[in-house]
Amino acid sequence: MARNWLQAYSVLDFIAVGMLLSVIAVSSQKRLESCVRTYVLNSWLLAAFVTVSAFYMGMPHLYIAAALTVLSKCFLIPYFLRKVLRQLRVTHDVEPYISAPLSLLAAFALVVVVFSFVSQGVFVTGVTRNALKIAISIILISLFVMMTRKKAITQVIGLLIMENGLFLAGFSLTYGMPIIAELGVVFDMLMGVIILGLFLTQIKKAFVSVDLDKLTTLKG
Amino acid sequence: MEFPFYTAAICAFGAGITGFPFAPKKLSGYLYFVYALGSALFGAAALQTVYSGVQTSLSFSLSGVLDIAFRTGGLSAFFALVLSILGFAVSVYSAGYMRHEDNASFQGVFYGLFLMSIYAVFYAGNMPAFLVSWETMSLVSYFLVVSDSRNDDSRKAGLTYATMTHIGTAFIIAAFMIAYAGTGTMDFEKLRVLISTKPVSLRWAIFVPALTGFGIKAGIVPLHIWLPKAHPAAPSNVSALMSGVMIKTGIYGIVLFSIYILGGAVASWGVVLLVLGAVSSVLGVLYALMEHDMKRLLAYHSVENIGIILLGVGASIIFQSYGLFTLAGLALAAALYHTLNHAVFKGLLFMGAGSVLHGTHTKNIEEMGGLLKRMPWTGLFFLVGSISICALPPTNGFVSEWLTYQSLVLGSTAPAVYAKVLMLLAGTALALTGALAADCFIKAFGISFLGMPRSAEASGAKESSRSMLAGMAVLAACCLALGIFPNFVLATMGRLEVGSLPYARAALSGNWMLSVQNGFSTLSPIGILAIMLSGLLALLVFIKGLGRREVSYGDSWDCGIRRLTPRMQYTATAFTKPLRQIFKRIYLPTKEVKIIYRLRPFFAENITYNSGITPFFEKYGYGPAVSTVHKAALRIRKLQSGSLHLYLGYILLTLLVLLFAWG
Repeated sequence: MARNWLQAYSVLDFIAVGMLLSVIAVSSQKRLESCVRTYVLNSWLLAAFVTVSAFYMGMPHLYIAAALTVLSKCFLIPYFLRKVLRQLRVTHDVEPYISAPLSLLAAFALVVVVFSFVSQGVFVTGVTRNALKIAISIILISLFVMMTRKKAITQVIGLLIMENGLFLAGFSLTYGMPIIAELGVVFDMLMGVIILGLFLTQIKKAFVSVDLDKLTTLKG
Repeated sequence: MEFPFYTAAICAFGAGITGFPFAPKKLSGYLYFVYALGSALFGAAALQTVYSGVQTSLSFSLSGVLDIAFRTGGLSAFFALVLSILGFAVSVYSAGYMRHEDNASFQGVFYGLFLMSIYAVFYAGNMPAFLVSWETMSLVSYFLVVSDSRNDDSRKAGLTYATMTHIGTAFIIAAFMIAYAGTGTMDFEKLRVLISTKPVSLRWAIFVPALTGFGIKAGIVPLHIWLPKAHPAAPSNVSALMSGVMIKTGIYGIVLFSIYILGGAVASWGVVLLVLGAVSSVLGVLYALMEHDMKRLLAYHSVENIGIILLGVGASIIFQSYGLFTLAGLALAAALYHTLNHAVFKGLLFMGAGSVLHGTHTKNIEEMGGLLKRMPWTGLFFLVGSISICALPPTNGFVSEWLTYQSLVLGSTAPAVYAKVLMLLAGTALALTGALAADCFIKAFGISFLGMPRSAEASGAKESSRSMLAGMAVLAACCLALGIFPNFVLATMGRLEVGSLPYARAALSGNWMLSVQNGFSTLSPIGILAIMLSGLLALLVFIKGLGRREVSYGDSWDCGIRRLTPRMQYTATAFTKPLRQIFKRIYLPTKEVKIIYRLRPFFAENITYNSGITPFFEKYGYGPAVSTVHKAALRIRKLQSGSLHLYLGYILLTLLVLLFAWG
């Protein structure tokens, strides 16, 4: 009953599109604080996607994956990010290389490219037809965001969003990974964020700013 | 129940390797005795394997496809025996040698790993096991070469060594991959069975990269350039092992592949090996003559001896291809015997050089002199090693080179004309090599141990510690024992099921007398020893009993100068001047005289004189190749701007291109 309802209204597609839109929003945002907030929204949507498809396919172990996603990506990582932001005192100014409208356009172009070039054939799990394309779009847009921002903290956020995209891509190609792999990935993410946070504070100490331009001086 | 030698040996090494980081500094030297024990146990295990004929094997799988297998076959056991003899002596020596080093625990751990990894190379039974052991050996020895990291030269030597050895590994991997693609097996024994049904072209395709890869490790000319750099840079106990055994892993690989696995019945392989061997032996000793750094000199002699070993291997393959199995067995036995002997005497000489280095803090023989009075035992052992490497009776070098000569001379019985000519030419090259080697060691021993001290360090030299002398004594005794009782070694070798070795017993008959091909030529080491001893005795009797009774002591005649100084002595450079003239087409000697005048042309203020030889292979082969790579690298380097954003851009671009191409 409920499953038919889910299918009829393509709830999964809605959630996935929501993720895509939130990533596009990140590419035009100017305040770091709102970037983090959008990332949290993105993670909630991802968790919702996993939950719904767990229910839809009747695979209870995916609920654990969803719970882990909520715990790590909606609470622990944002908490840590905000702490780093406070320490670095760089709450404003993303400082992009290109203007917000231009990056919106670029994000749009990336989505078009992906949707026109990823062939229809990749459709494995039967969850939704569009999840893979959306996932690839998310990955590319977040890579684009990482490329065009000066502040190192945006690189971290971009990486986190890219991970969400990868999760979605992996999920749409398999019926969810074994729980041990999920655990490993989540643990890696947490460690990664902590290490990156440490790096950022060190970069701040060494170069007085967290602008990545300064890193060119490291080249031998 | 049999004693579990292998287990005990591995346990001993494990104990040593784990013990070093925790041992207090004073005691850490004693841990080398644990390695000595481990080597002895490995040696006993190898002997047991040869004499019982029972192969032990061990394998475990890494994944569905990759297995790691170790096997104690005949050839493996022989080379492990060689390593055990040297490993035992060098470990005893290291206990004293390493006492004064500041990074003793690092050296200890890596020394143990090094020995262990060479054993693993010899015992590897399939390709993955071989490659893992091989790379471990290369990397560990690299770290040992650069262990004196404050020294700029040793870092450069390490770079040369690491580069060469990795190029070698690349070739070996290529050979393995071709073999796997052709037969579908990674196991050496299965490969051996399967390859016999395959066409010769496949065997060629395996042989060429394998020879190149193993040739780099063995130090065949022109792939030898890392040897004279890496051996002097390493601590002397490690250079003894590197020169004594590690380069033998190259020989092991060549014998394993060309004769054992690929059957070795292609005459042109023998020709290739014979030519390479002749060139290596002559050029090796020629370059050694021009070296005045003791350890570099010894390193070049390793090139020479590898050449001599290859002469035997090459001759064996040629004989085998014509079905002359007894002669093939004789030649291979000569090669393997020389492998053992070179390990023993080169280990001894490197330890002697290390002992001298400890006493005088210099490697330059022009700064030594008169060391025999100050370091009598070191001098004696070095002399035994020198006699051995010059292939003079009654030492081991003589027996194996004699066997090599016999097999080359017997080349005249080969049916093909080119083989007859080639083998006789190779014999000539060997004769030249022997004479030059003798000259070189007259220089090395004479300049450094005889005469007056040429520097303050040399005159203040002290004899080395007891364990160092003990290590050298073991090998000096081996030099004599292997030279006087060759039958035991040859009997052991006859039991190895490798190539035509079992036939060698038919070629070499006699118990106390070596008789080649039913009396083609005979040699009795014991007889020679007896004649030499009686001659010595007669000389003593003559001098003491019949000679002039009154002995008066006085200074040497000094042409009326009244006082002789060390600077008036014959130098090493002067000693080798005639040869530099004779072989100037090979050496391409360079001379540079700079004169600064106060008043031209009569009053010179300062004259500097520089002479040297052109390093042919570095200048015309490796130099241009390296600079080409450098130029290309600089051009590519522009891609690497240092900007993180640009790098991310590269990734995005790559992803998009992939999407376009395969989306």
